[in-house]
Amino acid sequence: MIEYMPLLFVMIPVVLSIVIYLFKFRMVSRLVFVGQAAMISIFIYMLFEGVYENPITLIFGGWSPIFAISFYVDQTSLIFIGLTLFMWFVILLFTFKKHRDDHMYLFFLMFLQGVFLGLVQTNDLFNFFVFLELITVLVTILISYNKNGPSFRAGIYYLLINTLGAMFILIGIILLYYVYGSINIQYVASQIGQFSESTIVKLAYVMMLSGISIKVAFVPLYSWLPRAHGVAQTSVSALLSGLIVKLSLYAFIRIHHDLFLEASYNTGLFFFYIGAITGLVGVTFALVQKDLKQILAYHTVSQIGLMMMGLSSLNDVSFSGGFLHIINHAFFKSLLFLAAGQIIYAYKTKKVYDIQGVFKTMPFTAILLIIGMLSISGMPFFSGYVSKSLIKYAFKDNTFHMILYTLINIGTVTSFLKFSRILFGPKLDVMFIFRDSKRVIAMALLAIVSIAIGIFYLPIITQVFGFEATQVNLFDIRSWLDYILYVSIGLVLYRVVIKKDFKFLQKIRNFSMSFEDANYALILFMSVFISVMFFMI
Amino acid sequence: MVSHLIKKLSMFVLLSFVLVMFILAMSDLEFLYNNAGKVFFSNNGYYDTGSRNLVTAIYLDYRLFDSLFEAGILLVAVSGVLWISQHNIKEKNATFMMDKQKTPELFITFGRVLYPVMLLFGLYIILNGHLSPGGGFQGGAIVATAILILYYIDISKEIDVHVIITIEKLLFLLLLGVSFVSFFTRGEIMTNFMPLDGDIELKQIYLYMLNIIIGAKVALGLVAVFTSFLKEGR
Amino acid sequence: MNPILSFIVILVGIYGVATSKNIIKSVFSVTIIEAGTILLFLNLAVYEGGLIPILTELGMDVVDPLPQALMITTIVIGSTITSLALMLCIKIFHHFGSIEWKVIFGGDK
Repeated sequence: MIEYMPLLFVMIPVVLSIVIYLFKFRMVSRLVFVGQAAMISIFIYMLFEGVYENPITLIFGGWSPIFAISFYVDQTSLIFIGLTLFMWFVILLFTFKKHRDDHMYLFFLMFLQGVFLGLVQTNDLFNFFVFLELITVLVTILISYNKNGPSFRAGIYYLLINTLGAMFILIGIILLYYVYGSINIQYVASQIGQFSESTIVKLAYVMMLSGISIKVAFVPLYSWLPRAHGVAQTSVSALLSGLIVKLSLYAFIRIHHDLFLEASYNTGLFFFYIGAITGLVGVTFALVQKDLKQILAYHTVSQIGLMMMGLSSLNDVSFSGGFLHIINHAFFKSLLFLAAGQIIYAYKTKKVYDIQGVFKTMPFTAILLIIGMLSISGMPFFSGYVSKSLIKYAFKDNTFHMILYTLINIGTVTSFLKFSRILFGPKLDVMFIFRDSKRVIAMALLAIVSIAIGIFYLPIITQVFGFEATQVNLFDIRSWLDYILYVSIGLVLYRVVIKKDFKFLQKIRNFSMSFEDANYALILFMSVFISVMFFMI
Repeated sequence: MVSHLIKKLSMFVLLSFVLVMFILAMSDLEFLYNNAGKVFFSNNGYYDTGSRNLVTAIYLDYRLFDSLFEAGILLVAVSGVLWISQHNIKEKNATFMMDKQKTPELFITFGRVLYPVMLLFGLYIILNGHLSPGGGFQGGAIVATAILILYYIDISKEIDVHVIITIEKLLFLLLLGVSFVSFFTRGEIMTNFMPLDGDIELKQIYLYMLNIIIGAKVALGLVAVFTSFLKEGR
Repeated sequence: MNPILSFIVILVGIYGVATSKNIIKSVFSVTIIEAGTILLFLNLAVYEGGLIPILTELGMDVVDPLPQALMITTIVIGSTITSLALMLCIKIFHHFGSIEWKVIFGGDK
């Protein structure tokens, strides 16, 4: 009986979304919370039954597993399911008062949840592609939901680039099918060792990972992310930055670490450098932005680079660090977006230099914002510190890698020092504060989880990842000194360079890749990847 | 201009590089071609599902889950297109054309002849999905085209789009329902509800039902999309 | 020979996407890439003497039916994406008055 439960995760939100669309009463929109509660209880039941140790497989139709669609729920899937359920609950809580009569919005949001939960459980490559395209279409509609000019242009940019990425993934799937005769992930993963040296399998690997790289927003393919995340509604931005970009990292884990594991392509170092460059470029752009949401969006790019630095290594500790950073980043980045959304709504402007005095005007929001900022910069006792220490464990002896990592951290701290200038100043008379207890509860939940992971990290890591996290020490004097050093360098950098707003900083701010350039960059990236793959490994 | 030329030239070089790699990969395929899937489907397809058309057997029985979400993406895209097309007061450049010309008499006469023929052809393809090339998706597209011929015949005819997409969503729920019936009769989900070793004629009932539901759904969805495009300019 | 020609179609589409200044051209270049992908998948399955996978009698030597079923789904997905993109193009024209990438993104950055 427990094997059919993965399907319920997909079916409950989808059916609920259609019911909400068909019956346009206010009572019916409260059903979203009933659905969330049902799925959370199913999830807890599955954890109780020990699915975490023994993965379950659900084959649709009872046919031979090689030729039919199946769901495979293992540890990675379960972590993502738990994360999704929590995030959706928080976002629904936040946005319910504003949207409880807007049935189209709830329809799209719930359908997105069902499809997302399907994506993280599916074991079939073509099913994976169909879900990926479904998510692209749904996110495009949600980005353009406001129906003003910037939303539409962000929407079409997002749609075209992501469709291109999905097409590349499809070409890779095609090539794999004709070599192995099946598109079942677990089956092909067991067989992949046989032909892994041939040109066609390597070409399939390159195409699939190039498609995924577009969605992960590596440099130089990141240009859709700031555009899309900057113009969407607050709740949609929080969901996008917090969760939807992580699905591409899930795809990376499944394809690089599960499907092609036996093929042993040594591309770890390549992805590490791409991640490091992404981190540096993201944080550089974030430093020069004037718009609140754009700072956060470029930050997401940079943090994804940091996650890739962890996920690409063969060291188990760093890999878990990258994974934990995915979870942490979902929490504190959405907290920052939600708080920023509140502030923008109250002050009616998006520019950093125009907003002042948040601490005195909206004290509770300001405290939550500070918690988010401390987490993302990696202060001990907050969640960011745990994941960042785990990530840097793999290369703590390699000086060049540590320099890159330190630069990214300094950049992160500096840009949040710039962000925090909105806190100071006199109290302003704003009359548009959206007084809704649910919003405060939602943001407080995220903040509490960030702090909880920061303090109780030992039992959490032992349960979830299965090793003793002795590499992270809360009271290590060196880490505290490192953090204080980062903050001081950041302050100096901010005062001297950023505040003056030099000419070349303006040029960086105005640098934007047009659509044609983005595609040209894609071909360049793919060619470089092919060269690395075939001629250097 | 020079940078454009450099860009185009470098694109050519990079694309030819990728092409050369692909040609090398294709030469590999002659040794590595794997036939396991083809053998499985051609041996077991007819007896398991009751359909002579093996492609229909795959997308209605072995891989029904994919087809459900293919219908789902049609549903979502139609709702999305409808939502985006509704006008906002802030648009500056929206020009609304009145149809200044009348459709020529030739089109109207031929449309009247063509409409029932196309409708019948579409229905034939939907119903015969498991015996000849065709099926729900293909036939649904043809039926949609047939209904759209009505726009040629009578240009001011307005179809209420909201009713259409409500019916479409109900059909989607019906589709989900039919695919779940097999859980109670056979213990497996997303497959034919007749027992596995039963009579082949009985298994075809399920194929008829699914093809009709999918055909109706696709036809309604495509008509809704086209109508919202048409109304956009009105 | 056929798979290589399909791949050339895909490359033509990629070239179009990377050099088109007009939004509608970009949308249709993406459509060309989809068409090329579908052709690629189907062309790799056919061989000399293979019959279409409809069993009029048992024991026929048919081509692989799985790619064809997958490509039905891909065609539907491609058409929905094209329709969504074109509707967005219409709306962009109403808001900005032009459909060139430069003009649309030139505005406020």
